Order: sequence, then structure tokens, then C-alpha cells
Amino acid sequence: MSNLDLQEGSVLRLEELSISFGGLKAVDNLSFEIKEKEIFGLIGPNGAGKTTAFNCITQFYRPNHGKIYFRDKHGKVTNLIDHPVHEIIKLGLVRTFQNVELIRELSILDNVLIGAHIDFKSSLLAQALKTKKAKDEETALRNEAIEVLTFLGIADRMLLPAGGQPYGILKKVELARTLMCHPKLIILDEPAAGLNDIETVNLAKVIRTIRDKYGCAVLLVEHDMRLVMDVCDKICAINFGKFLAVGSPKEIQRNKDVQAAYLGETEADQ
Amino acid sequence: MKIKKPAFNLKKNAHLNYVLFGAVLCLVPLLIELGLLRNSYLTLVGSVIIYSVAAIGLNLLLGWSGLISLGTAGFMGLAAYISAYVTVNLKLPFEVAVLLALSIPLAVGILVGLVSLKIEGLYLAIATLSVSEILRKSFEEFGDITNGFSGKTAGYPKLLGFFQLDKYGTYLLLVVVLVGVMILIHNMINGQMGRALNAMRGSEAAAQAMGVHLLKYRLVAFALATSLAALSGILYIHFIKYTYPPTWTLGMSLNILSAIIIGGVRNIYGTILGVFVVFAVPDLFLKQIPYFGAMPGFAYIINGILIIVVIMYYPYGLIYLGNDMKKLWGKVKAKVKP
Repeated sequence: MSNLDLQEGSVLRLEELSISFGGLKAVDNLSFEIKEKEIFGLIGPNGAGKTTAFNCITQFYRPNHGKIYFRDKHGKVTNLIDHPVHEIIKLGLVRTFQNVELIRELSILDNVLIGAHIDFKSSLLAQALKTKKAKDEETALRNEAIEVLTFLGIADRMLLPAGGQPYGILKKVELARTLMCHPKLIILDEPAAGLNDIETVNLAKVIRTIRDKYGCAVLLVEHDMRLVMDVCDKICAINFGKFLAVGSPKEIQRNKDVQAAYLGETEADQ
Repeated sequence: MKIKKPAFNLKKNAHLNYVLFGAVLCLVPLLIELGLLRNSYLTLVGSVIIYSVAAIGLNLLLGWSGLISLGTAGFMGLAAYISAYVTVNLKLPFEVAVLLALSIPLAVGILVGLVSLKIEGLYLAIATLSVSEILRKSFEEFGDITNGFSGKTAGYPKLLGFFQLDKYGTYLLLVVVLVGVMILIHNMINGQMGRALNAMRGSEAAAQAMGVHLLKYRLVAFALATSLAALSGILYIHFIKYTYPPTWTLGMSLNILSAIIIGGVRNIYGTILGVFVVFAVPDLFLKQIPYFGAMPGFAYIINGILIIVVIMYYPYGLIYLGNDMKKLWGKVKAKVKP
């Protein structure tokens, strides 16, 4: 794959992405591009196909048509469609879930360590025998996980089981889990859903610090317009799976098509 | 903030704990020789050890990985017959028998693991049950190898071709194997692999997003579970020295399954406690109860009641009873000494 498919300074580019379920075109010819270290919002009314677009990018769904170019950790451009779902994280692309997907019975620390799954190099046999190498690897990654948890301010809870923790904490644990793989691009699926106002304001701060500290781009799907307008450098709006507009938060707010999609068309417009 | 290395502490050092547990089990022959325990207890405790090995394997599958199997008995029986046939009929060394009796069930187990990616839950349970029943029927039908309903006998193991074990020696071998299995499984489930299995059970989507290759870990889980079932079968045939088809029915698989639920899902000591409750308590205590003890099905009734009670009050197993006792004891102490 030549590096020409993705411009210098870009991390992800969707090219005419389409997927349909039966007769329904959930995503229809969608294209957009995300620059490195950019916080990019994907918005649209309910059922616009935002999450489906996410699932296509992360290969949970296989798109019917289109290409998804991604610049991986080593600067190599690759088409994500050529990779199985469990290999996506190895390239430096990691996601969170709309309804927090954590393991209730495991401690917060262990949940975060699941994010380091691909970083373990020792074999199963070495792990079973607990060789020095396997032990050192575990300790190093454990300390790294504690660092991430400290950065997010929840290290004091790390030994508690994830089940039963408040929703705001669980969202942070999911964030911590994505940071373990040193991502190039983090995809956040409705990170503000279920958070109160203070937590949402905090989240905006956290997203920006993550971008600055880890030097990664962030793609977020969100319903909370205050968060999107506050934190995003660029926004893409879609409706019924189709591209509507792309631009800065101000431009999107003023865009007639976007307003129509959200508020409905008035008779005067027609 | 860094996690401090734990100081030398019996309660914290899991490996030492397992070794000590093994040492306690080794006391059984000594106590019998001293006349403090009845002779039959050796077979009883030995059986608990044997079934524990298989139960730990099933717990890895059911508890940690969230995959169900009703085929444990079939794999145990298969290994028992192979080991008996290889040592008695082919007169090959014990080590060769172990190798064959492990690898053949392992191959079948991996096949089941491959199938498990397509079918889940109850369907997987039925599929594994079918495999087990096919195996059991084969034990009846292939009389040339298995002696059919007359059953097959084997001897105590002869290690490295010259070291013939006796009854006590074989018992010690069982203890060594169990402690080894406990330590290896403990290491596995407390590291990357354990987290991957947990993730697979808790959320397949999250597991995949974090780079867990589902097929690989399902295969690993099935491979380990069937290997341990096979290992258990090998120990069985060389300690009990006799096997016949009715041993390896669905009843055996269900007993091992109930042992895990009663004792402790995702808990190694809990598994052994469960096996003790299901396989030893009937002989040790229930049969001593007047009138009821004479009923052949009494243990089944008690087991059924136990499962219901445990599911209601201790969904993670009886092993957590200890924690509650400690808390209760703490409260009592606090009241006595205000």
C-alpha cells in the first residue's frame, strides 16, 4: 500500500464507505479525513449511522464498499479492511463502547491491564511457569497501568472490582484501558452518555490532556452538543448514513443542512 | 505509586500455600499407618484429588472462559482406557501411555474448541455431551480394546521403567500432580491469559477490541480443560486400577460441574472443596446418618439441596463461607471485648 493514499499529517481517511443491512443503507458513501492530534467529532441525529461507521472503522462490521486508510504506529499506511478485528489495536487504533464494556469481577487495575494484552510477549508456557521474563513483563505493565490510573485520578480505587463502581469512574477506566496501547487514534463512542454536567466538563478537559500527553488523535461520536462544540477541532455531521457537512464547530452550527437535520425543515425553507 | 513486593507471608504467597496444602494431603498415609484413619480413606482422598484435577480444568472453561462443557467424563474415560491399553496390552512404559492418553483427548478437545466458535451456550453443552456419549458408547462397543462391560484393569505406575510405585507411592504421585496443576493454573489465570479469558467471558466485543484473538483463547481453554480431564483419567486408572463404561456417564460430568458450582466458580481451592463435598461427604458423613444413610440416592438429594442453597446465598461458591465466618468471628470478638 503506497503512502500516497493518505496525505502527510493525516491519520485516518474514509473513502466512500458504505454498509447496508438488508435494504437499509446504514452508512452511504461516507468520506472524511482526520489529521494527526486532531479532536474530531462525528455527529448526527439518532439513527444517523454514527456508531455503525465506528464499527466499520474498527472492523466489528465489514463494510460492503469503500476504503479506510490508517497511518499505523510505524507511519505505514494500511487499509483497515484488510485486518481482522483483533489486529486493529496493534496498529494503534483503539475504541471505547457506548455502554461501558468492562469485566465486573476483575479489579480496575486488571481491567486496565486487558488493554495491554498485545504488549505481552511471553508465551503461555512462560506465563504458566512464571519465568523471570514473564514476571518482569507483568510488573512493568502493571506499573504502567498504575501510572495511567494516576493520570486519570482514579488510582486510589485500582484494587476494587469494576462491578459496582459509579458510571463516571467506569468511563474513566475504559479510557485508561485504551491508553495502555499507546494509540495513534482513540475512538470514543458517546463518552458523555450517563455523565452529569460537572463530569462532562471534566471529560472535555481529560480528552484534551490525553491528546496533548499521548499525542494521539481522538474521534468521538457524541449527542452532548456542549461537549462536542467545546472540545472538537473539527466536526463531521451525517444524517441517514449520508455526509452532510464538515467544518469547525462554528461552521457546523451555522450550516443550514445540519440545522434542518436536527430541528426539521420549516415550511418557509421549502 | 508502586505495588510493593509482598514480604514473606504464608497467606500472601500462593505457591507456598499450595505446596503446604499438598504436604497436608501427604499426611493421610501416615495417619493411616498410625491407625488414626481408616484404610478406605486413602482411596477416598485419592479420588477427591483425581476428580479435582478434572474439575480445575472444567472451572477454567466454565468459570473463567464462560464456555460450557458436559463432556468431561468422556475425556476422562478415554484417557483411562488408552493408558490401560498401552501399559497392559502393548506393555509400553508408563510415560508413553501418559503421552498418548494426553494427546489423543487433547486432539478431540481442540476439535470441540474449533466448533465452539460457531455454537454457544446450551448448544455447546449438547454438542460436548454428544461427544462424551459417543466416547462412552465406544467403550462398550470396542470390546477388543476395552473389554466392554467386564471392564479393564491396570496396575500402579512404573516410573522410568524401573521405579514401581505401590499404593502409597501412587497416592503421593497424585498429590504432586495436583499441586503442580494448582500452581500452573494459578500462574496462568493471574496473568495475561487469565485476563484474556475473563475478558472473553465478560465482553467479547471488548476482548476483541483489546486484541484478544477469540479463536486462539477458546482453543487454549478447551485444550487445557481436556488435558486436565485426560490427566485425571490417567490418574484414575492407575490408582483405582479398574474402569468400566458406566463410570463415564453424564452423571460423572454433572457431578464435576456441580462440584464447581458448590465449591467455587473461578476459585482453585473452591473447586477442591466442591469435589470434596460432592464425592467424599456422602461416604464420610451422610452414610453414617441412621435410616437416611442407607438410602442409595440420599447423597443425590443432599447435593441437589446444596446446589440450590449455594446458588441462592453463595453464588460464587461455598469457599466464600470462610470470609463470612471470619467477619462473624470479628463481630463476636468485638462484642466480647468492648
